[in-house]
Amino acid sequence: MFQVNNLTYRYPRNPENTLKGVSFDIKQGEIFGLLGPSGVGKSTTQKIMVKLLTAYQGEIYYRNKELREFDREYYQEIGVGFEVPVHFSKLTAEENINFFKKLYRNQAHTDAMMQRLGIYEDRKKKVDEFSKGMKVRLNFVRAVLNRPAVLFLDEPTIGLDPANARIIKTMIKEFRKYGGTVLLSTHLMNDVDELCDRVAFMADGQIAEIDTPKNLKIKHGEKKLEVEYAEGETTKNASFDLETLSRNENFFNLVRTRQVISMHSQETTLDDIFIKITGVEKHG
Amino acid sequence: MANFFIILFGELQRMKRYNIVTASTVVALLWIGVLYLTEIPDITFIFPLLIYIDVTSMAILMVGVTIFYEKQEGSLHTMLVTPISKQDYLLSKSTVTVLSSVITLVILYLYAMIFKEIDLNFAGLLGAVILVALFHSLVGFLLTYSSRDFTALLINMMKYMFVLMLPVLLEYIRIIDHQLVENILYIAPTKAAMILLYASTGDAELWEIIYGLSYLVIGSAVLFVLALRKFEQFAVRESGV
Ligand SMILES: Nc1ncnc2c1ncn2[C@@H]1O[C@H](COP(=O)(O)OP(=O)(O)OP(=O)(O)O)[C@@H](O)[C@H]1O
Ligand SMILES: [Mg+2]
Repeated sequence: MFQVNNLTYRYPRNPENTLKGVSFDIKQGEIFGLLGPSGVGKSTTQKIMVKLLTAYQGEIYYRNKELREFDREYYQEIGVGFEVPVHFSKLTAEENINFFKKLYRNQAHTDAMMQRLGIYEDRKKKVDEFSKGMKVRLNFVRAVLNRPAVLFLDEPTIGLDPANARIIKTMIKEFRKYGGTVLLSTHLMNDVDELCDRVAFMADGQIAEIDTPKNLKIKHGEKKLEVEYAEGETTKNASFDLETLSRNENFFNLVRTRQVISMHSQETTLDDIFIKITGVEKHG
Repeated sequence: MANFFIILFGELQRMKRYNIVTASTVVALLWIGVLYLTEIPDITFIFPLLIYIDVTSMAILMVGVTIFYEKQEGSLHTMLVTPISKQDYLLSKSTVTVLSSVITLVILYLYAMIFKEIDLNFAGLLGAVILVALFHSLVGFLLTYSSRDFTALLINMMKYMFVLMLPVLLEYIRIIDHQLVENILYIAPTKAAMILLYASTGDAELWEIIYGLSYLVIGSAVLFVLALRKFEQFAVRESGV
């Protein structure tokens, strides 16, 4: 769907390049996660891909055609979900949605979506009377109201309660089920784990690593068994590699001779991998 | 073109909701107050002056206010990723601005006809108002692009008024009465505007009307192209949150 080759970008007022040769591709029908520490250039990459920033170097192909060759028609095919509020604040939610909907050839059933997201009852309220979470939900409706082929999402569940976050995640998965492609940028590793088919980690203006969450865990993770046992009055911990557990005499000795208090298998999380690859504690 | 009318309609709807219609009605009432307080019964020669002040300043202000509001609430962001073209965006704002100036003109003219004496060519004045409002809405875009915030826009607008608007006004009320200065003022778009507005009273040579028309028509075309070009730059700046 997208091929991004050696993308370089410098903001006019910055002395240094923000993007220093970013390359990746996104396949049709996948949810692609773009991850990395705050300020690394995720939003910048997204802004270039939605043609907000045009003075980039390198190439971006969408359906095998360079992005620069597309005119405003491009926007018929994509949906953009912003992290920040983006509506006419003194118009109602419904008026906002209706205004934007009219600009597109394909129109989604926004009433049903608003109902599902629990904002239909409030559709006649002005957007500046909406709560933060309501605005986030409205942003999502705004992003998909033209039934796009590609969805760009920047922190789509930030500030939402777990129930509403779940609904949005389900809707994103449904979008993929019907062939939609998603570029997702978020700091919530649980969302990434649940949603993304592949993820790219950015570090220092470049892509540090791309793979499926599962492969990343295999590659960077050691599966371990943590054992807590009693020794006299005190408790102690021991840790064993899961893969070689069946051959590990120390482990068998321990379970035979000591009183085991608890046993947990420990998986490397995407959080751990994030820190390992980008070399930074994540923010936000 | 279909989009243009959708955007135009949206723009009109917001004019109402954001109380811009109310604000410009208040300004029109203010002008009516001025006319009311004028002792002279025949206001033919004051009328174009009021219209001149109203149209030039309100056109700049209206474009600036709406853009800064869109910027602040983030709706500008969204519009930048829709099929709305920058041509349609600029033209719809200009159209609404022109419309608002025309409404003010009609209100004031009706008042003048009913309560005062006035004798001018309304069609000519209407045409002049449309052209002057269009030109100044485009000035509004360029001033807005080069202003960091709304205060900066107000300052830029003051500069425009002091350098270009006020001297022409002073010339027409004969406070500036110096041939050289009057000649120099021909380079100001505001002089072209004033000539066209005054032409409706019959007080303009043919060559002056031709000069005024060509200045504002060609000027508007040039400003439109500039406003389109610089829009990109402006949008890039605005998209960096
Ligand atoms: N309009 C702008 N002008 C100049 N520099 C900018 C602009 N927007 C962003 N930057 C810089 O570019 C870098 C990347 O910013 P970007 O917003 O892409 O980061 P991000 O990865 O999305 O971070 P976050 O996770 O916090 O959203 C930052 O150093 C930022 O300061
Ligand atoms: Mg960001």
